Amino acid sequence: MWITMGPQHPMTHGLWTLRVKVDGETVVDTEAELGYIHRGVEKIAEARDFTQVTPYCDRLCYVSAMTWANSYIYAAEDLLEVDVPERAEYIRLISAEIQRLASHLMWLGAFGPDIGNLTLMTWCMRDREMFLDLLQELGGSRMHYNYPRIGGVKRDLPVGFADRTRAKVKLFEQRIKEYEMMLDQSTIWLVRLQGVGYTRAEDMVNSGVSGPNVRAAGVNYDVRWAHPYSVYDQVDWEPAVEKPTSVKGADCYDRYRVRMEEMVQSCKMVLDALDKIPGGANTHYSTGDEMILTKAPTRAPEGATGFSNYECTRGASKFYIEGGGDGRGKNPYRLSIRSPMFITIPYVAKTMIGYKVADIPAIMGSFDPCIGETDR
Amino acid sequence: MSITSEQNEAAASAFLEQAEERFGGSGVAVSIEHHSNAVKFAFVRMTCPPQHWVALAKWMRFDAGINYCSMVTGTHYPEGGDRTWGLVYHFLRQPIRDVEPFTSDVLKAERLEGMDIPLEVEVLIDLPDGREPSVPSIQSIWIGADWNEKETWDLVGIKFEGHKNMHRVLNPHDSPEGFHPLQKQHKIRYHDYNEMYDDAQGFVRKPADEGRVK
Repeated sequence: MWITMGPQHPMTHGLWTLRVKVDGETVVDTEAELGYIHRGVEKIAEARDFTQVTPYCDRLCYVSAMTWANSYIYAAEDLLEVDVPERAEYIRLISAEIQRLASHLMWLGAFGPDIGNLTLMTWCMRDREMFLDLLQELGGSRMHYNYPRIGGVKRDLPVGFADRTRAKVKLFEQRIKEYEMMLDQSTIWLVRLQGVGYTRAEDMVNSGVSGPNVRAAGVNYDVRWAHPYSVYDQVDWEPAVEKPTSVKGADCYDRYRVRMEEMVQSCKMVLDALDKIPGGANTHYSTGDEMILTKAPTRAPEGATGFSNYECTRGASKFYIEGGGDGRGKNPYRLSIRSPMFITIPYVAKTMIGYKVADIPAIMGSFDPCIGETDR
Repeated sequence: MSITSEQNEAAASAFLEQAEERFGGSGVAVSIEHHSNAVKFAFVRMTCPPQHWVALAKWMRFDAGINYCSMVTGTHYPEGGDRTWGLVYHFLRQPIRDVEPFTSDVLKAERLEGMDIPLEVEVLIDLPDGREPSVPSIQSIWIGADWNEKETWDLVGIKFEGHKNMHRVLNPHDSPEGFHPLQKQHKIRYHDYNEMYDDAQGFVRKPADEGRVK
């Protein structure tokens, strides 16, 4: 019998449909249907110039807007051949890592009720608000910041931002321990997650899965480590990696653990970057100062292309831009976006085969789906 | 701590040598390029005629260790020139292997060598003129290419021969046959109407623009 879960279903974390073929309680086949909120960002971008594309990239994923905007910006900088001041790179790193904390908290807060732990949602929303406030100080709005610019960032760190960030990050480092105390000793949490949704590293890589989901299977591959883009090679951190508990690979519990560990690493990176930032974290340069923004050309050279490979919160997001050249105006001729979840969701749907219907929310939730970036 | 540019250069030039040895004289062009943004690392760019694509893909997957298909981009160039359709594939080589239970494979960047060093590969395929561009599918070589190819067909309209279970993914399933929105004959509203940003409400809209619908 085929069951249709979605497009409105608590399991989906968005708007998509999972069609499940069941034999009793066991899943025997699945099929993912995407595209419910396809906005055509790639087409829209062809009628915008390079700076005008950034807000659309913010809205690709409303949970981690900063990382997606950064991802686009690196591709555009590759295309336009811009050298970014180091202070701006540090600010981007700090903002991206704060965004990663907020995004992982959103994931954990949505994952908790899936498993039956409603407390977790209220705790995570409480802590996420701290980081959204910090990002709001930078970008001016709560979710879609439009903060990075081609050649730098929009504004410097506000006065007092460094102190507030340090205080909040240090508080959150303690709170992570609270989470772990609550979750790692909770029978419901362990029973629902351990031994469910096994995935193997090589399978995942061949299927195009990336990011924390692969690191949960015991390999520390991370774009920030392999192709360090920003200043990730200068701050103190280690890629988060989990030890899987079975030959069958990583289960839902490993994927939960690796994201907790990643939050710890993000905290470490933010604190370290605030100490190392050139010019000092408490200095405030005026908007447009050459410490935070360089002038970037508006037209791309003929035949030039730009590519970025960026560790987003859910995996590697990639942009490919083909420039306009003289004959084609100031717009990108072709902007192609590769979203990690677009590849991951069909793969996850297939990993559910063999498990019970009741395990579907746990498996799906542990991969952190986001439909905004999936459908673009 | 992380991969150095020397390792990256060494991996790229080793790949270049192997590729030239295997595909030299067959029309496959290989070169080493560098990104020009903050990430200055090298990557390999290959240009491949469509008839050699499957052989090249198999060699990359099984002999050169390229285990990750990142993305597939199709582009439509209707204004003429030497090509009408272009395909760009992005691949990655990642040192990822299954691990034993209760262990982890913590890669130390300075100890990686040879085919374990991460490497980015870009493959460009220019397709001949025609209303129905097509290229052999690599779905059976990298599973990760499956949904990328579906998306490229759905949005750009390039056919992937031998792709099993091809269907619409982002457009509605009942979209008209032959409708692929990223082809350039489909203009979005205000495509060549620059006044839009000064006049969002359209008060001073040009008469020629009246009656245009999205």
